[in-house]
Amino acid sequence: MIRFGKIGKLFSYVFLSIYALIILVPFTMMVLNSFKTMRELFLKPFSLPSKFSPDNFTKAWKFANIGVGYRNSLFVAGVTVLIVATLASMFAYMVSKYEFNFRRTIFLYSMLGLALPARLAVIPIFILLRNMGLTNSLLGLILVYSSVNLPFSIFILKNFIDAVPNELCEAARIDGANVGYIYYRVILPLIKPALSIIAIVTFVNVWNDFFFPLILINDRSKATITLAVSIFFGEYSIQWPLLFAGLTLSIAPTVIMFLIFSRFFIAGMTQGAIK
Amino acid sequence: MKVKVRYVLLFIVPALVLYSLFVVYPLFDSLVLSFYSWKGVGPKNFVGLKNFKEMFFGGFSKEVFNAFFHNIYFFIVASSLELGLGFLIAFLLASKLGGAKVFRTVVYMPNMIPLVIVGFMWNLFLNPQIGLVNSFLKLVGLKSLARPWLGDPATALMSIILVNTWRHLGFYVLVILAAMLNISPDLIEAAYIDGANNWKIASKIIFPLVVPTFRTLLILLFIGSFNVFDMVYAMTGVQAGPFRRTDVLGTVFYRTAFGGLGSAYIDMGLGAAVTVFIFAIVMPLSILYVFLVERRERS
Repeated sequence: MIRFGKIGKLFSYVFLSIYALIILVPFTMMVLNSFKTMRELFLKPFSLPSKFSPDNFTKAWKFANIGVGYRNSLFVAGVTVLIVATLASMFAYMVSKYEFNFRRTIFLYSMLGLALPARLAVIPIFILLRNMGLTNSLLGLILVYSSVNLPFSIFILKNFIDAVPNELCEAARIDGANVGYIYYRVILPLIKPALSIIAIVTFVNVWNDFFFPLILINDRSKATITLAVSIFFGEYSIQWPLLFAGLTLSIAPTVIMFLIFSRFFIAGMTQGAIK
Repeated sequence: MKVKVRYVLLFIVPALVLYSLFVVYPLFDSLVLSFYSWKGVGPKNFVGLKNFKEMFFGGFSKEVFNAFFHNIYFFIVASSLELGLGFLIAFLLASKLGGAKVFRTVVYMPNMIPLVIVGFMWNLFLNPQIGLVNSFLKLVGLKSLARPWLGDPATALMSIILVNTWRHLGFYVLVILAAMLNISPDLIEAAYIDGANNWKIASKIIFPLVVPTFRTLLILLFIGSFNVFDMVYAMTGVQAGPFRRTDVLGTVFYRTAFGGLGSAYIDMGLGAAVTVFIFAIVMPLSILYVFLVERRERS
């Protein structure tokens, strides 16, 4: 659509390249510096490390409990995605395809949480979980994240299910399919793209969150990856190469996943907020 | 279609219970709690509007309003940068530039990193002694510009805003780009034929047509600006130094409710009052956002 002349093109390339550098250089420096010694980092901050030894990484892995953090984050994010995808699709299916009393009211009620930041409610959430004995537990985090991610997922899924022709469900019904069968065999296969969108958005939201673990988790063995790194950061503030190694390790899985599946991530995340 | 009530219950109750218990009830309970004084354990004392009086007129108000203005400042600077640069970059990418796809991936990459990790990373880069930013300035002969970015009251908040922009810009670029690519190519083709230049096309055709997207993004930016926490926590700590120059309502809240060292005001009720304040600011725009999104969905 937009056409640039020679000068316009040149300007575009220069401008965009500079911006790309502003993004890529910090990543590169983080990784490079995580191979250095403190002395080397101080004397030659921009050079390549003299040797690529994995020492800092193995140390950071151990001290920052990266393994534990990965495991906890993966578990919490994975289970949350399953719960959200299941409950939100069931809810959206019922609200979209069937008539019953208070249908619209119930739907609007579920939309209340769409733009209200749940972190504003964190004190009562904290107290509620404490009363249930679920502070310092991954289950507590899962319950909170599942609830918080429901409104958006319901919203997206309902739009997709609305687009499924009613005739399809009616035909299935005439063939003798019940409500559950239609959900499982007709609706779910048709809304796979929407399910993958909400799965990605929910997973990334949970994996990247720091606020709820900061408040709900004290026990290091229950720390998610972001919390694990933040504790480590406070304790090893002198050992910079270790810190860089810890940061690199903490973001490696998501960045690698992103680079492989960037198209899906971008579609999911941008649709997520604006749709 | 008609359906039996027990099916309705089976399909909607699980989501409804979870959502009511962990989203709706806590939001209301925050409001209730803001009328109490409570240390988190022991007796809860009903104090009526005392927390709000303290927050708006008492000694605590200095801290709250200082933070509040930082949130406003954050919103103004971050939204100008993100929408302005976002528009420019999206415009450059809207042409059929070679390599635009690779560039899109690169631009979006920072969005994949947790805010708190971005904060820690830049915290190291901005360090006055051995941070890379100052080292770089020395390397290129701009030594006079080197400073303790996060320790200098004049630059601390701006540094955080710029890092925040670094993290988020890609998102805005891609959303604005999507809006631009939605514009009918015929419209732009016709303008070219009429002899319009790129500046005219950008300002007279593309900009007016992406204004609705800007509106939605502004609301998101506003809500986001009043919920800043992770980045400040990671870059200048819960004390939001130097001299609270980077304090935002999020850090005030955290110190008040969960007790940061050195906070003179520690009380869950008072903390809840801070969240009610944020809530009151954000709520009208949140409703507007949901309304706009729903309207677009219908059309």
